Formats: sequence, C-alpha cells, structure tokens
Amino acid sequence: MSFIDHGKKQLRGNIREYGMYIALFVIVVGFSIATDGVFISSRNIVNLVNQTGYIAVLAVGMTLVIVIRHIDLSVGYLSGFLGAVAAIAMVSWDLPVSATIPLVLGLGILAGLLSGFLVAKMEIPAFVATLAGWLGYRGALQLSTRGTGTIIIPDDAFNAIGNGFVPDIPGIGILPGVHHLTLILGFLGIVLFLVSEINARRKLQGYESEILPMEMFILKLVFVTALVGGITWILAGYQGLSWTAVVVLIVIIVYQFITTKTVLGRHIYAVGGNPEAAELSGISVKRLTYAVFGSMGMLSALSGILFASRLRSATTTAGQLFELDAIAAAFVGGVSAAGGVGKVVGSLIGAFVMSSLSSGMNLMGMDISYQYIVRATVLAAAVIFDVATRKRE
Amino acid sequence: MGRSVTIPVCPLWIRGFVTAPITPIFLTAEKGISMNSVAVGTAVVELRNINKSFGAVQALRGVDLVLRHNEVLGLVGDNAAGKSTLMKVLSGAYIPEEGDIFIEGKKTHFASPMDARRQGIEMVYQDFALANNLDVAANVFLGREAVRTQLGPIAVMDNRRMEVEAQKLLNRLKIDISSVRLKVERLSGGQRQAVAIARATAFDAKVIIMDEPTAALSVAAIGKVLDLVRELKALGSSIIIISHRLEDIYRVSDRMIVLRHGLKVSDTPVEGDIHEFRERVVAYIVGARDDFGGRAAADKRQEA
Repeated sequence: MSFIDHGKKQLRGNIREYGMYIALFVIVVGFSIATDGVFISSRNIVNLVNQTGYIAVLAVGMTLVIVIRHIDLSVGYLSGFLGAVAAIAMVSWDLPVSATIPLVLGLGILAGLLSGFLVAKMEIPAFVATLAGWLGYRGALQLSTRGTGTIIIPDDAFNAIGNGFVPDIPGIGILPGVHHLTLILGFLGIVLFLVSEINARRKLQGYESEILPMEMFILKLVFVTALVGGITWILAGYQGLSWTAVVVLIVIIVYQFITTKTVLGRHIYAVGGNPEAAELSGISVKRLTYAVFGSMGMLSALSGILFASRLRSATTTAGQLFELDAIAAAFVGGVSAAGGVGKVVGSLIGAFVMSSLSSGMNLMGMDISYQYIVRATVLAAAVIFDVATRKRE
Repeated sequence: MGRSVTIPVCPLWIRGFVTAPITPIFLTAEKGISMNSVAVGTAVVELRNINKSFGAVQALRGVDLVLRHNEVLGLVGDNAAGKSTLMKVLSGAYIPEEGDIFIEGKKTHFASPMDARRQGIEMVYQDFALANNLDVAANVFLGREAVRTQLGPIAVMDNRRMEVEAQKLLNRLKIDISSVRLKVERLSGGQRQAVAIARATAFDAKVIIMDEPTAALSVAAIGKVLDLVRELKALGSSIIIISHRLEDIYRVSDRMIVLRHGLKVSDTPVEGDIHEFRERVVAYIVGARDDFGGRAAADKRQEA
C-alpha cells in the first residue's frame, strides 16, 4: 500500500476525529488570510484563548454529562451567580482570594450535587431538573446584584486569573523580548508528547497487528509538534502564557487523565454506553451521576471565576447563554447525543472552533446577525457529519 | 418472554421441531459416557423448595434443583414456566419468599446480583449486557478493573494487564476475535455472546448461568457458542443453560430439568437419540407427562 493510500485509509477510519482538527485549521488559515494576519497575531491569539477559557471548562464538564446521557442547562447562570458570590465575598465579606476561590468551588460542587440529586435520586429528567436550575440561578444572580448593580472587583490577584500572564524567569539573556518560561513549557510538552507516543507505539507493536504505518506516524508527530511549537512561539512572542490558559490546561490534563486512565472514567463511559449493563456489572449509576454533576458544578464555579476575573466585575447578565455555547462546543467536538461517546480534548477543540469563528468574523467586521447564522450552520454541519460517519460504520 | 400469551396445546416452535427435525449426523450418536462422571459429582448448587410469586401469580411453586460439579444442566419449559425466575433467584436478582439456597453445601442468602457474583454465581444475560462503546478487554473487566495505583478515591487502571489477561482468556476459550481492543459494536452477534460468556468466566465462577445464549444468533454462530459451552465444561465449569432450542440442550447438556407452570415436571439425564429426546421433552413441556405429579397434586391440595 502506498503512502497516499495509507493516508486515505487513516483519514477514512478516523474522519470524525480528524474532521474537527481540519475544520479548526481551515478556520485559522482562512481568517488569517482574510484579516491580513491580524487573526494569527500574538495579541489576538491570547485574547482568543482567554475568551474561550470560561466556555472551554464548561464544555469539558458538559462532555461527561452528555456522555452519561444527560444534559445540564443550569451551568450558565450558575457560573454567573457564583461569579457574583465571589465578588460579594471579596468586596462585602472582605474574604481573601485564597478563601474565596475554594468557597466558590465548594458551592459549585454543592449546586452540582443538587442537580445530581434531582436526576439520580428523584429521577427527574435532566433537561427539566436543570431547566429549573437555569431559572433559579438566574433569579439568584439578579437578587445578589440587585442592590449594587455591577460589582467591581478591586483585587488584583483575582483579576490576574482572567487578564494576567505567568511571570517569566528573570535574568535570561538570550532571545530578548520572548517569554522564556512559555518556550520551556512548550518544549517540555512536545518532548512529553513524543516520548509517550513512541512508547505507546512500541507497546502496540508487541501484540497488535493494526498500527499506523511509519510514514503516517512520523507525519502525525511532525504535525502535532509544529502545531504546539507554533502556538508556543506565538504566545511567547507576546506576554507568554496567560493564567487562563494555565487553568484550562490543568483542567484538560486532569480530565483527560480521569477519563482515559482511571476506573471512574471507564465507568462513566460504560454507563453512557449501556446503563443496564453497567448496573449489572456492579457499577452504581446513581453514584456516577452524582459525581458527574458534581464535577459539572465545580467547573461552572471555575467558569464563573474566570469570567468575573476577566471583566474585573460581576454583572447582572454574567453567564447568559454559556450553557448553550458549552453544549455546542461539546457537539462540535464529537460528543454523541446518544451517550457513551466523546472526548474532553475534542470538546476543547470544539470550543476553540466556535470562538475562533466569532473572533474571526468580528475582526472582519461581519454583522452580528450573520455571525449567529454562520455559527448555526457550523454546529448543524458538525452534528450532521458526526451522524453520517457513525451510520456508515 | 411474552412471545405469545394464549398458548395453543403445542406452540409453533415446538411443532417445528416435531414435524421438521434437522438431524446432522453427529446428533444421532448415542450419549451416555459422560453420565458416569456426573453421578459421582458433588452438588455445587442446590435450591430447595423455592417459592416466588408476583402479586397473584405464583411463578415458582416449591422447585428443587441440584447442579453438580462440572455438569451442564439444561433448563427447559414453555414461556412463563418459571425458568428465568428460577435463575434470577439463583443469581440474586429476585429474593424468594420461601426456600433455601446452598452453595457447595453451605446455606446462603443473596440480597443482590453482586452478592451472588461474589459467591461465584455468574449470569450471562439474553441481551449480552455489554457496553458497545467500549472495547473487548474493557467489557471483560467491567466493574472489576485491574488497578495499578490508588490515588485516594481515584483508582488508576492497569490497562496493559487487563488487555493481556483478556487476550489469554479468549485464547483459552478458543474465541476468535482479532484484537481485545476492538470495540464491541464492531463484533458480530456470535462474537458478542462469546465475549459475554468469557466475561462471566473471567473470575473463577463456580456456576455460569446462560439465559437463552443462542436465541439471537445465526446458525453458524450458534455452533460456535455451543462449542464454547463444551470448552467451558472441559475446563471444569458448572453450567446451567436455559434454551428454547431443544437441539442446543441436547447437544451440550448432561442433564435436563423441565419446568411447567412453576413446578418441576422432569429431571432426567440427556440420553437417547435426538428424536426420542425431543418427543419426551415436548411431552413434559406441554403437560402430557409429569414425573413429580404426586407432589404437585399434593401442593395443590395444600393451597386449597
């Protein structure tokens, strides 16, 4: 089989996964050309990352919720409400940031467990239970901001989460004007990726017939290395890694680890694939439902913190429509509504696809009405593509 | 279940057997050699006087059942005869109102399927009960994953070990699946049933119960599943198999129990040629014969 045939076969076999990366690639290149390179500028990319952060963490949690065949509509206003709670805690209760953040995350977990209770214990459909949450948290957000309107957050440390950058290692003479720590982290990331890929391949060769042919494998490594290297270089050329990017990276690494390497993750996918079989195997579907909604609540809180920090304030409309952006990101990222299928990294890419579209269209000065229609088309196309490739299997 | 509610004197599927028997050459061979070993075997499971009702319907009325070591026991009966109910009692899904369960001579009580599973009773469900989105190895170890490290509440899986063990298991049972990394949704019906059975045998089960293991399969796949049952017996397992297909029972079982209306009507070795066997079983199923008639009549008098 020739190189190209292998490529075709590989593409066909993994079209669902690669489709997303190709879409992101096309969007980035397309907008970069259309905006004469403004889109790909360091400044815009950093902005894009910080803007996507609070949706991306929601999309990660939403992935697991959809994998176990549920949905959570309450996350947007929950995130807005908890952002307001964070602001009030710091402004009115004089709590330090170090106490505010754990408090808000804890409240998020409690709110998530409440949804989990309604769904798992009371057996209310998640759509209805979390719709009630949507209404409730919206009310709570308005109540908590009614007296003051927008609450300005004066704390610099808190505001750095959404606006600040990781400080560079001082005293390095080479490459002035470039963020060294970012370069080092990016380099380490690439090395880690290469080592784990090569190890995985060696392991596979031991007892598996079907592995990627050598040329394709190298192509994949080169592609990912170039991608990560490129992003690292762009970020390092500006002010380096933003704190938001660090938070998102940590969330992604933790959730990727849990979903692929742990018993908990395996059980989440088993419940999504066949709840009856999971139950018969001794897996408690109820406990898992609590865990998944609890994690969703915690990530909603994190999203609220990121957003409030980015705006340096809590507003009366914070969190509006976040839930729909997160759900859209998950579906664009290859999560299946039927349950059991979807990766957290996919949802992250999905979130970036959607926000790149917005960012690019904004830079081009496109009418907001058309922007919505374009995004609608992309969402529908992604799901149609997903369903079509699934059927063909 | 529930294929027909009002059953004619002789249901269609049985009539099919009687009027148009398929007799491959190997089926006409006399059985009997294996019977000796069964007679010496000790009981691995004993159910005594099991009673279970659902509202006004008495599904089981004082059924006794003995399964010996390394024996394949066929469980036969019409729809609603109580076969599945009896097996759900044994696998912990139902709790009987009356009656005792003995595992290797020790009296036990099952509160849940997990309870039964811990004591070595494994059930293979009719609809396979597999997670189709996971691979073969993940399904074999579902709910019993091998753990490499425990980080507080988070248990990290030992995927490599599970894959190696799953592959060994498939090899031992001579199950033909190219890779344990294949997702179950890509397997054929017969392969899925094989995975379900392999999964039941993965953890030193004392007893494997199979509920209609061949009902949803093609003819070729049925042959493979029956081969697998024989392989399990050769490896020392004790098996109870529920089936509507008398031919399957004949091909793999040492002994057979027939239930009718929640009562045991026959408990006999599987022997003779297939025609004679089929006619005899059908007679029990439709109620023309009853080896335990005396007791059943006595029970009825007691109820009245």
